[in-house]
Amino acid sequence: MSRQQNNRPGRQIRGPQSALTDFLASHNISANQIRLDADARRRAAEQENGVTAPSNEPSAEQQAAEDEVGESSTLTTTVTVTTRTSRRKTDQKVIDKIKASKTYQKRKRNAGNDDEEDDLLDAMLRDRASLPGQMDNCANCGKRFTVTAYSRNHPDGGLLCSPCGKEMDKDAPPKKKPAKRVATGPVGRRRQVQSKILDGTFQLGAKSLMSLCIETLAKNIDLAEDLGDLPQPVIDKIARKLSKQRLLNPTTLSLFLQPTTDEVCIYDGAKLSANDYIRIFQTVPGLKKLKARNAIHFKDEVMDFLVSRKTELEDFYLHGSNLIDEEKWLEFLEKKGKSLKSLRVYWTDKHFGDSALAALPSSCPSLVRLKVCHNQKVTGEGIKHLAELKHLKHLSIDLRNHVHSDIYVQVLSSIGRNLETFSITREIDLDNTVLDAIHNHCRSLQKLRITDSEVMTDEGFARLFTKWENKCLLFVDLQKCRQVDSAHPRENPDNIGLCDKGFKALMAHSGRKIQHLNVHGCRHISAEAFEAVFPANGKKIYPELKKLEISFCEEVSDFIVGSIFKCCPNLHELNVFGCMKVKSVRVPKGKILVGVPNAVGMVIEGVDDDEE
Amino acid sequence: MNATNGNGGASKYITLVSKDGFEFVVLREATLCSDYIKGMLRNNMTEARTGRCELQDINGVILEKVVEYFHYWYKYRDREDVPDMEIPVENCLELVVAADYLGMDSKPH
Repeated sequence: MSRQQNNRPGRQIRGPQSALTDFLASHNISANQIRLDADARRRAAEQENGVTAPSNEPSAEQQAAEDEVGESSTLTTTVTVTTRTSRRKTDQKVIDKIKASKTYQKRKRNAGNDDEEDDLLDAMLRDRASLPGQMDNCANCGKRFTVTAYSRNHPDGGLLCSPCGKEMDKDAPPKKKPAKRVATGPVGRRRQVQSKILDGTFQLGAKSLMSLCIETLAKNIDLAEDLGDLPQPVIDKIARKLSKQRLLNPTTLSLFLQPTTDEVCIYDGAKLSANDYIRIFQTVPGLKKLKARNAIHFKDEVMDFLVSRKTELEDFYLHGSNLIDEEKWLEFLEKKGKSLKSLRVYWTDKHFGDSALAALPSSCPSLVRLKVCHNQKVTGEGIKHLAELKHLKHLSIDLRNHVHSDIYVQVLSSIGRNLETFSITREIDLDNTVLDAIHNHCRSLQKLRITDSEVMTDEGFARLFTKWENKCLLFVDLQKCRQVDSAHPRENPDNIGLCDKGFKALMAHSGRKIQHLNVHGCRHISAEAFEAVFPANGKKIYPELKKLEISFCEEVSDFIVGSIFKCCPNLHELNVFGCMKVKSVRVPKGKILVGVPNAVGMVIEGVDDDEE
Repeated sequence: MNATNGNGGASKYITLVSKDGFEFVVLREATLCSDYIKGMLRNNMTEARTGRCELQDINGVILEKVVEYFHYWYKYRDREDVPDMEIPVENCLELVVAADYLGMDSKPH
């Protein structure tokens, strides 16, 4: 076997060796050496005959030949693997020289198998001229140049001088960014599941066929030329999916602009220009409903175009169009307001103000739905005029200016009877008078939202819901109606906000039909109230309740959550963020529990669904 | 496969027939994700008795993909972490139409 001086701690793994090799070795003849000599002789002979050597480099066997201690040479850190062909091109003499060098022999002994020995050869070839600071010939143009740390490698081996390197970089395709890694592994998957629960897209089982198809379509949207005549709900789904992935641009917009349609929903118009919006009105003459979110470039010129066309818009939803002037708004309302039934304006801070609202009663007599959301210009003055909109059914206000409660009382006393939706968001000083006005005037209300009120009291809520001649509410959102007083965080002597009495009255009034309830932040509702509303024996059933949010109601515990699941058979989602007493609840199959404050998260009841 | 049992018991499998005459035998339970087929298989309808649904508006290639989806949905119906099924790009528009026709929407069942 091979002669080794000391017992080197190198790799002792040896593969199978032929009997002949063993025999020769026992006579101190290295088969490797014989082969090398033979190859050298063959190559010399071929060179004389002018035939290029077709054979590859001899693949070395594992036997080491010598064991002398050799000279040392520094290795660069980069080891590039070159192909066999490249080594062929290099001078054979150089290779022989390397192979004869003692460092090579020493390293070869430690190397395991053929490939590593080839790599080793390559590495040592690199060393010869690849040190920064040394001179080398460029592999491309042959010029002499100084090797630096930035010298590029020629694909066939060797180094390139800097001009050739730049050329190569230009020719090479730009580096593709690695695709975003989808969460893999157990931690990644769990995180994905939790994220889906928070998004509300979590479901047990496979995605629906529609979703799968639309995802495939969105991935390959550049191949789509025409969507054909798909039904409107499907087109809407596709529009949503494209917008979510920010694929809605002037090209893909054309897919949604069919001359026969009467509804165009752009969920993300960030990439569209003013001309694209004009194009919408051009290609869809019968447009009745336009919804444009992030419609930044819906400017004056687009409004001008719209006003000049015969388009009779009935439903206009604009989000983020801050570039429309006030006069243009007034012009639009005046000229196009006759047919307008629904106007929803979001996030237009400065130019949609009181004057626009003042113009509404006269120019939009058939207005049924009005929503002004996130607006800094409208004040109480503008709201006063809403009392004149006799046909209004849905009113939704979210302003940054303070509007006194009296104004709302005035509006309610005028149009409250027909109102089906009443939503005032983030009006801090809204007080009980508004609640009383609702109680006295509203008879057809279905959706009620009052949030962030720091003045309304429990008594007010109780008065509203007790003996109210309104039918059951379907949607109630009273989030953050609570006491905000840092001096007395726990005590609530005046019972500010929604507390026990109000909560019980609310559920007593609307429990039969209520579908969606949000009392996020109403932290003064006690456990006793929860247990009274959701008794553990399941005596009270809320059949329509599908979504319940009781986040940051401190007194909610495991027991209460369990009772809720018993009392609400069709509950789909329960949100208990910040309810620190909820530790480990078993969730019945098909339901979602969001916000459990521990690492395990939602625990779905497995096979044993005895509650069903 | 006929499901003509005297006592009204339904067979485990039903047959779906495409516009161009291709027939696919599917587990009855696997088709419950389609509202349309679920409606057809209700108690007194002809299809419920014969166990055979004729889908006049869907051709064979698309129906094959739909049946593949049925089995995929059935296999993964109670699992949390489900790998997505491959949808070939050339068929996806027609599949969307078929999915809409069959009522295979993303509503919680």
